[in-house]
Amino acid sequence: MNWLKKSSAVLAALMLTSVVAAGCGGNNTANSPAGSAEPEGAASTGLKPYEVVMVFPDAPQKDNQLVQDAMNDYLKQTYPELNMTVKLNPIDWGAWSDKTNLMMASGDKMDLLFTADWLGFQQQVTKGGLLPLDDLLAKYGPDIEAVEKDYHEPAKRDGKLYGIHTHQELGGTQGVYLNKELVDKYSFDLTALKSGKVEDLEPMLQTIKEKEPGITPLVAPSFPLEAYYSSANLDSIVSIAAINTVGTAADDYTVINSFTTPRYMELAKLTNKWYKAGYINKDALTPGLDAWKKMQAGKGFAFVGDMDILADMEIGKAAISPNGSIKAGREMLQIPLNIDRLQTGKMTATMYAISKSSEDPERAMMLLNLFYKDKELLTLFNFGIEGKHYVLQDGQIALPEGQTTDSVGYYHDIMWQIGNQMLNYTRVGEDPNKYQNYEKFNQQISSNPSRIFGFVFDPEPVKNELISIDNANKTFVDGLKSGQLDPEEVVPKMLEKQKAAGADKVIAEAQKQLDAWLKENGKK
Amino acid sequence: MNSKRTNPVIIIVLTLFSLACLIPFWLVLMISLADEDWVTVHGYSFWPGKFSLVAYQYLIEDAEKILRAYGVSALVTITGVVVSLFVTSAMAYALSRKEFPLRGALSLYILITMLFSGGLLPWYLVYTRFLHVQDTLMALIIPGLIGGFNVIIMRTFFTNSIPPSLIDSSQIDGAGEFRTYFSIILPLSLPVMATIGLFTTVSYWNDWFTSLVFIQNEKLFSLQYLLTKTLMNASFLQTIANKAYSSTAQVTTPLESIRMAMAMIAIGPLVLVFPFLQKYFVKGLTVGAVKG
Repeated sequence: MNWLKKSSAVLAALMLTSVVAAGCGGNNTANSPAGSAEPEGAASTGLKPYEVVMVFPDAPQKDNQLVQDAMNDYLKQTYPELNMTVKLNPIDWGAWSDKTNLMMASGDKMDLLFTADWLGFQQQVTKGGLLPLDDLLAKYGPDIEAVEKDYHEPAKRDGKLYGIHTHQELGGTQGVYLNKELVDKYSFDLTALKSGKVEDLEPMLQTIKEKEPGITPLVAPSFPLEAYYSSANLDSIVSIAAINTVGTAADDYTVINSFTTPRYMELAKLTNKWYKAGYINKDALTPGLDAWKKMQAGKGFAFVGDMDILADMEIGKAAISPNGSIKAGREMLQIPLNIDRLQTGKMTATMYAISKSSEDPERAMMLLNLFYKDKELLTLFNFGIEGKHYVLQDGQIALPEGQTTDSVGYYHDIMWQIGNQMLNYTRVGEDPNKYQNYEKFNQQISSNPSRIFGFVFDPEPVKNELISIDNANKTFVDGLKSGQLDPEEVVPKMLEKQKAAGADKVIAEAQKQLDAWLKENGKK
Repeated sequence: MNSKRTNPVIIIVLTLFSLACLIPFWLVLMISLADEDWVTVHGYSFWPGKFSLVAYQYLIEDAEKILRAYGVSALVTITGVVVSLFVTSAMAYALSRKEFPLRGALSLYILITMLFSGGLLPWYLVYTRFLHVQDTLMALIIPGLIGGFNVIIMRTFFTNSIPPSLIDSSQIDGAGEFRTYFSIILPLSLPVMATIGLFTTVSYWNDWFTSLVFIQNEKLFSLQYLLTKTLMNASFLQTIANKAYSSTAQVTTPLESIRMAMAMIAIGPLVLVFPFLQKYFVKGLTVGAVKG
């Protein structure tokens, strides 16, 4: 009897496990894509049907599946010879690094993968997660080459190409946004800013401070002391190492600590002075504070940041900013104070790569190539299905009647992630000539390359130092940027901490690598 | 020193401590009720100048997603806790019996899992490659089923508070192992079950990381992941806004009060569960923790 009881219990336990197992199994098959059915009429080229998995950061869209189906229909009709389908696999921004690292390390199937220097491109290459693309590009990427040929260098590691840069604007401009209503009210003379010096903003800030209580003259924390300053004065190599390009001979390639330049001190002092005078908001460092919200609420006058790219941009020339006006919900003027040069970093800021776990890298490259030539495919991916997710109004993208960005089911702003941006539609409210402006702007920028364009720093030998330097900076940099710390007192302290964290070693390493690169390229 | 009345110093310290626990909740509640524009302009405050229920209205409009996430969390928590209690107590009971031959080896095995973790990648591989549970509710339940720490607390409870002679006598009376376990041991172990149950409830309810790693299907997101996701996305987009230097990347920050309203909703069930289980809490933990 006892034996019977025991065995029945064992049996019960077994059943429980099998039920559990069956449960997972069942769910699993239900979730696996059913799209592997043979598309007919494609056998002629001999290419087997293949599903290209695209992994990119984006908030999941409700109608993802619909758009994916539409893209597949389109691919089947227009390019039957490629015999491929696509699977869109967006990953939440916040989960991106954890998830892609796991997927990569475990060899999950991925074909096309969005990557960027700020999303761990270097580590992905070091770990061997990406495929070298040179041969694939030469064979299957003619339309990519047509627009990106000159810009592959920065994505190369050890002479092999690992990422394909999105064709888009090649740099940015930084400057100051002004609330037009207030500029008009006090009829500020904007020609004062022709010099391109942020200092000349001071009289305006003073007027606003005196006459408009309740309005912050200059909204922080997005006061990008660093951005505005570094691209105008430095060729940045890695967070703290840079080459000073102001007042040095053109063939001077001495690497310095970017925080030691006089201009940094000057701007930090200015920010601190403005903070003390009450021009900058005191809550600048509150997490989650959004400067644009302040502008929206009508509580801000000026704001330093990245500008829209417009036609005929010049340093110091004021113009209405279309994007800024949308973000602030009121008319905003923009005055560029700095226009980027062609920098290596920008070229690796948005790329697509092919994962090592791809089962058919050729097909992945073919699909990527389509994004550089096929406006319809690009539009499907970027804006969804016409009539359902967008309608065309005078050649611009608008939301269908009665829909909002929340309700529409497919609305994301990731046009900058893939393909040839110049093929894209603009949205209603944007400058219809946006992409022509980009082209023009690109000519301007590419005619003015950084003196170390193409040099890529390998951070591996000084990885630990860079981490501790970052930690040392964290204590001070935000406080300096928002003006809350006195730079005369704090900057020396920061430099000391950086030194203790190994700044000298980083700079020496940067110098060493740079010298080797210069020699190789015959510049020295 | 009088022994009847509690020392006022203790009262003051505990009051301050309770306040430190309650004040954040109060702040979150107030911000969830505050007018968005007011918060933008004036910042956080314990008594906002302008109240509005917009955040909660907005959440009601988005109710489908939140309710589903609520359902997922509730289902996972309830199933998880029940199964986990069964598995944990079964293991702990076996380990508490001196007659069990593998006792030492298994205890060591459990101890090792407490000291060293296998790391994220092997963990991920086991569930995706061998068990294939990704994108199912199982992925949310299975990883939390057994914790070494809980097993040890329970084992100690069993060894200390259940006299071996009780087991002997029940077996003399004809009870088999399972009968002993279900009818004698479990009813006697309510305090430790409630304690461990509460531990696992909290950890299942608060868990967002397993969702992050294993779940793609939006319908299976747990409530906490939904919440974390909103927060992470917002902060991520803010930090990349400059880095990506893209003029088209428009930052959409979720409304402050909505985030807080979601937090208020998410803590709901735990606040309800806690008081009912609390009375077992101290007893179960102390009895289980002291090695006799």
